[in-house]
Amino acid sequence: MTNFLTILFDGVAYGMLLFVLASGLAVTLGLMNFVNLAHGAFAAFGGYVCAVLVNRSGVPFFVALPLAFAAAALAGVVAERTLFRHLYRRSELEQVLFTIGFVFMAVAATDYVMGSSQVFINLPDVLQGQIDLFGVGIGRYRLMIIVICGLLTLAIQGTLARTRFGARLRAAVDDPRVASGLGINVPQVFAFTFAFGCGLAGLGGALGAEILGLDPYFPLKFLIYFLIVVTVGGSSTITGPFMAALVLGIADVAGKYYVPKLGAFVIYALMIVILIWRPHGLFGRTVAR
Amino acid sequence: MRDLLVIEELRAGYGEAVVLPRFSLNVAQGEVLALLGRNGTGKTTLINSIVGATRRFAGRLALDGRDITRLRPDQRARAGIGWVPQERNIFRSLTVEENMSAVAQPGEWDIAKVYELFPRLEERRRNFGNQLSGGEQQMLAIGRALVLNPKVLLLDEPTEGLAPIIVDELLAALRRVTRVGATCAIIVEQNARKILGLADRVVILERGGIVHEGPSAPLRADPSVLERFLGVSGGAGTPRDPA
Repeated sequence: MTNFLTILFDGVAYGMLLFVLASGLAVTLGLMNFVNLAHGAFAAFGGYVCAVLVNRSGVPFFVALPLAFAAAALAGVVAERTLFRHLYRRSELEQVLFTIGFVFMAVAATDYVMGSSQVFINLPDVLQGQIDLFGVGIGRYRLMIIVICGLLTLAIQGTLARTRFGARLRAAVDDPRVASGLGINVPQVFAFTFAFGCGLAGLGGALGAEILGLDPYFPLKFLIYFLIVVTVGGSSTITGPFMAALVLGIADVAGKYYVPKLGAFVIYALMIVILIWRPHGLFGRTVAR
Repeated sequence: MRDLLVIEELRAGYGEAVVLPRFSLNVAQGEVLALLGRNGTGKTTLINSIVGATRRFAGRLALDGRDITRLRPDQRARAGIGWVPQERNIFRSLTVEENMSAVAQPGEWDIAKVYELFPRLEERRRNFGNQLSGGEQQMLAIGRALVLNPKVLLLDEPTEGLAPIIVDELLAALRRVTRVGATCAIIVEQNARKILGLADRVVILERGGIVHEGPSAPLRADPSVLERFLGVSGGAGTPRDPA
């Protein structure tokens, strides 16, 4: 029982981390109809920025996290303005080829600059070890992940549903031509959203380095996970990917614990069943909120 | 009165197709202009060209003395073009109130004033765009353009497909709106006779050019001009979408 609760806790932490990593992809894919397979490259970038700041420059971990967000968001702006925006009106195959090529370039560049071995971020003492809660061992680091990712999820949801920017984004997605004719600078709204999604990925990469492992192949290794979160969750909502990320996180942790050799089989079998059973994802295509 | 909107030698269309070969028109401050014509004569293309949503081959547009020819649609909207599109195009995943707050610009018109004009919208303020009747959608489309606080209001077939009682309500509201302040309005209508009471001037289009232009008062007394160019005496269309 204790074991089960610990697995559930680890699974939730893993799932929420996956959600923060993939939520930017949910936005670009679901709202802007852009298939960005390079999303993980921004996550890795954030992770490496955090590692360099903490390990080499001695910046405190909690200061490095927002900087990782900012660095990945800035990289997102540059990539979107110079490269990706040329592909918005192209076919999905072209978008896939373009962005997967970008991933391989990112992998090679990271290997060249940072080396191929796995990078670990030196964590402050306060995040190490476990605390005991009603007899259940709870990892401090995973607890922090749940708190930060939970707050971020609420912030994303609130921004989309309650702010003027969220309304302008939804308007731009509903009907870009009319939104533009009514004074909304649609490309600017999309560019900002894209950058924010990349920033979230960068923050996820920094938070996830400890749990997921960070090496140059990170963008490829976790690409499938991001895509599962978005397709299984349905890319037109934010709640859908959130639930899908939780299910995936718990199933992955439990699978690896109980049937280590079949872990991957369980995940992909689940994905295939869901995609056949609900072609538009677990939560269907509804209004973005 | 000075001219608020000036269109000079405009040549515009879509892709390679030219719909308006050479179009010029001035609209004065405070003026309400009815734009009439059969289907496919270029009325909507003209509206869309003022918005900036068509391809411009030549010509220029000025709004309140400022050249807006090279502005993007969103810049034109912020410069003072208030667009009520033909299909209404309410943002379906936004509530009634968000449809307005998402685009509102500071000025005389705010959401509270729109609710005064259309109390129905206030009752439905938390409903989403896809839950509204045709008449409510049209009220919202007009309210959404008003909170932009435009200098020129462009209404593309505002009464199309609405029940007669809703049409009367809308026209009454438009009369109140267009009698205030420094705005002017261009109203595209099929419902020619109904709009004559609202408009100061009538322009009739045929094949992308103006075939009749003049004050609306004489046409009210003698509708033969309407019959000649529109083939109808301004009969009301069949309502197909009662509110």
